[in-house]
Amino acid sequence: MDPRQRPVLHRRLGAMRAMAWGLVALLVLVYAWLQLVRHGEYQQIALNQAVKVRPMAAPRGLVLDRNGHRLVDNRRALHLVIQREDLPTKPEVVAALAEALGLDPLALARKVQSYRQAGKGRPLVLQENLDESGIALAERVRARFPFLGVEVAPRRVYLGDELAGHAMGYVGEVDEELMKARPGAFHLGEIIGKEGFEAAGNDRLKGIDGQKRILVDQLGTEVANFGQIDAAPGRSLYLTLDAGLQKVAQEAMGEEAGAVVVLDLRDGGVLALYSSPSYDPNLFLNRLSQDMVDRYLANSRTKPMLNRATQGVYAPGSTFKLLVGLAALEKGVVTPQTQVYCAGRKNFYGRDFRCDKPTGHGSLSMVQAIAQSCDVYFYELASRMDVDDIHATAEKYGLTERTGIDLPQEKRTRIPSRAWKKKAVPRDPKWYAGETISVGIGQGAVGVTPIGLARFYALLATRGKLLTPHLFLGLRDDETSQLIPAPAPPVRDTPLDPAIWAVLDEGLYEVVRGGTAAASALKEITMVGKTGTAQVATFVDRAHYARQAKALKDHALFAGYAPREKPQIAFAVVVENAGFGASSAAPIARKLVQYWFLDRPVRPLPPPRGKLVDPFAPPPEAPE
Amino acid sequence: MKERFRALDPRLLWVVLALIGLGTLTLYSAGRNTPQAGIWLKQTLWNLMGLGIMAALAGADPRRFFRKGFPAYLVGLLALLAVLVVGRRIGGSTRWFVVLGQTFQPSELMKWVTLLYVSQRLGSRPPDQVTRLDLLGAVGLVVFPMLLIQRQPDLGMALSFLPILLLIPLMKGVRARWIAALVVFVLLGGTAAWNFALKPYQKQRVMIFLDPSSDLQGKGYQVNQSRIAIGSGGLIGKGFTSGSQTQLNFLPVKTTDFAFSVWAEERGFFGVLIALALFGLLLDRILAAARAALSATEAYFCAGAAGIFALHLLVNVGMVAGALPNKGMVLPFFSAGGSSTLSFFLALGIIMGIQHRARLK
Repeated sequence: MDPRQRPVLHRRLGAMRAMAWGLVALLVLVYAWLQLVRHGEYQQIALNQAVKVRPMAAPRGLVLDRNGHRLVDNRRALHLVIQREDLPTKPEVVAALAEALGLDPLALARKVQSYRQAGKGRPLVLQENLDESGIALAERVRARFPFLGVEVAPRRVYLGDELAGHAMGYVGEVDEELMKARPGAFHLGEIIGKEGFEAAGNDRLKGIDGQKRILVDQLGTEVANFGQIDAAPGRSLYLTLDAGLQKVAQEAMGEEAGAVVVLDLRDGGVLALYSSPSYDPNLFLNRLSQDMVDRYLANSRTKPMLNRATQGVYAPGSTFKLLVGLAALEKGVVTPQTQVYCAGRKNFYGRDFRCDKPTGHGSLSMVQAIAQSCDVYFYELASRMDVDDIHATAEKYGLTERTGIDLPQEKRTRIPSRAWKKKAVPRDPKWYAGETISVGIGQGAVGVTPIGLARFYALLATRGKLLTPHLFLGLRDDETSQLIPAPAPPVRDTPLDPAIWAVLDEGLYEVVRGGTAAASALKEITMVGKTGTAQVATFVDRAHYARQAKALKDHALFAGYAPREKPQIAFAVVVENAGFGASSAAPIARKLVQYWFLDRPVRPLPPPRGKLVDPFAPPPEAPE
Repeated sequence: MKERFRALDPRLLWVVLALIGLGTLTLYSAGRNTPQAGIWLKQTLWNLMGLGIMAALAGADPRRFFRKGFPAYLVGLLALLAVLVVGRRIGGSTRWFVVLGQTFQPSELMKWVTLLYVSQRLGSRPPDQVTRLDLLGAVGLVVFPMLLIQRQPDLGMALSFLPILLLIPLMKGVRARWIAALVVFVLLGGTAAWNFALKPYQKQRVMIFLDPSSDLQGKGYQVNQSRIAIGSGGLIGKGFTSGSQTQLNFLPVKTTDFAFSVWAEERGFFGVLIALALFGLLLDRILAAARAALSATEAYFCAGAAGIFALHLLVNVGMVAGALPNKGMVLPFFSAGGSSTLSFFLALGIIMGIQHRARLK
């Protein structure tokens, strides 16, 4: 090397050495800033993304029938979810996710927004109950959206499918309207009963969600569990329903629309409650597809979502004659022995009212009039009373009120009165005497629910006890699986005169012995009841009725109780558009009575089974 | 053989062995419970091979290599051209030859070959006889392979050639107007590069560097997670194989670009101090070799090598801390990789040879 160059080079190398150590010092400062000054902040972030608090959904209680057969079971299901803390913030990410999953982007964006605002709690469920293809899709989509997770949560399985659709109802995510209506009562994403007993018994059935603190890796997979508060399952409970009797009702109704209600006369327990067409609650657990909306919600013709047993209001037709007779006897406008002549028709207030039998029944007492379902006899009774008299009697015997059954949105029975018409028909508020004549045979503005009708016949069967129909039998002791009977809802005594009762009972007996329902009599058991044939309930005047009548055949009804000597059950059957009550409704009642008293003690029907195959089902348990 | 081991500068050797130790521990921890669990073992093989090469080169007369500077440079250029034609395309860039199932990155070696050749050219004459044309030629020798590498594209690698240009001020000194010229060049060049040369993903990286929180799920995710790892490590670290960011895979590419974050998370600021002190000593020892060098060529080579090591240190350690843009530049002895490891040891071997020759004198 050039000797002159060396000192210069050494000087410059010395500068480089200083720069090298300067570089090291600079990096030390950078790391000191991150690791010493901002350590706490980053430690918190590292902790937050690795340690998660995950809610654990509590299973709802099981619902058993009165014999302990499961009506609802819980199975494990996989849901595609986003945990609250992982909710995406960017609109374009949400839009891309919606596209990848085939969801409505606007709805998803709104949902993400509301979940983010709500803070901690249940994850946002994107897709419920993943099947194999759903899991495959979820895995693919997760590669692009790492914040997605899969949650294992209990899911309802309704055994028997359509067997008790309306009685059971179904569960679903609490909707925004309900949350607004009852602030603080629910949390976002909570699964609640939406219909039927699932809704009515929600507070008993729902459990308390647990939570666990877990360590997750970058994919959100649980690596370790730091401890958990177990979910408290909801209480399992017994219903008053008898699955076998319910099955008989379902099969007897077949394709017909209508309702069946059977009450236990001991306490008002509902032994069967079937509304036809029924629905399969299992179908409502997943998000409603358009297909489902078409089939169920938007089906205005057969109205499968309507619980006809508690929400269907039907003209009771001749089944109402018992109340009219009761009113007339109490008021004293006739005696049991009073004879009324039926010529097949009779003129009241200048209008002809016809009897079902055009040739006329001749001279009849009340028992005979009930047995033959003579209209003229009851026209005559109605003409001797005011409509408010009939209403007062109905009120006295509980027919004007809701029965109080533990199902949501029960409709009220409609027994017309002068006050009612003033309110209901403001354009024609005056009550016409001719209208009372129609009320006399359960037509006109009279409308009853099948449950209300069954309760009235239960009152006749018990000689004046006004029962409260109910589905809730009692909680299940979770250790012994035994029923803890709940106190039955109160029974109200009504001042039903035993002499009057005897006349009505005799009339009902004659109906089946030799009257309109003689074909449905059973040898072994004395079933008593009254047939009814009724037009649509919702008409106000004759012109309205005429329009309806063209479109619809009459509804067939049968209500009664059995056995006559010591009544145990009361029932009401309505078959829509089926024609004469004796030929369609009474045979169904006969099947119910036959099963309950004759077949069940010997050969009860097997417990209900679901047709849905559950891919994650645990091994079948021993029957209880 | 004995002669060769005597040639190894013991103080430099201890620093290198210590850094290898830290790097191996880091890779062991980073690979745990991943498909790359054996990567520390594989890297150990590369390190042993590298140590062998280093020992072999240290015992040789370094002037032999400088004499081969020109043909080596030509072969290197041909290799860079060839890789563009027949190289394996991985992740959007063509950087690798595949030989016997092993990938080999010619640009790693070319960096040192270029340094070798440029040192030789500039050091062969006294500084006052080196003309501006010679300097321009030297700049051309550096920039040409950089352009080829940028074709792959591999900006980080191309930039790692820049320290070779340090030789010019080292030889000629620094004048104020040069610095002014450099500033103008960087500004103009930066503007031109932004508008014409940089790929969209490279621009994005710069944008994300300027605002790391702008893309937490995408490119910014990596640096953000790395900062969390480093910051959460604190003073003493979370303990070996106990870093949550590392072990739960929040930290990305942790066996290569982000290996230093693993060390920082699990060993904390104390660990970082140790590692940075070792790197400081490494630079110090290389510059000491430059000072001891018998010829200008050898001194230039050592100084350029120190510059290259320093740039890798600055860019990688700065990048994982989010203090510099996310450039794919490996950290010697920490990042796993065959080509880079062997190349670093090769350079260290020559440096030790230079020092050994000076010591013998």
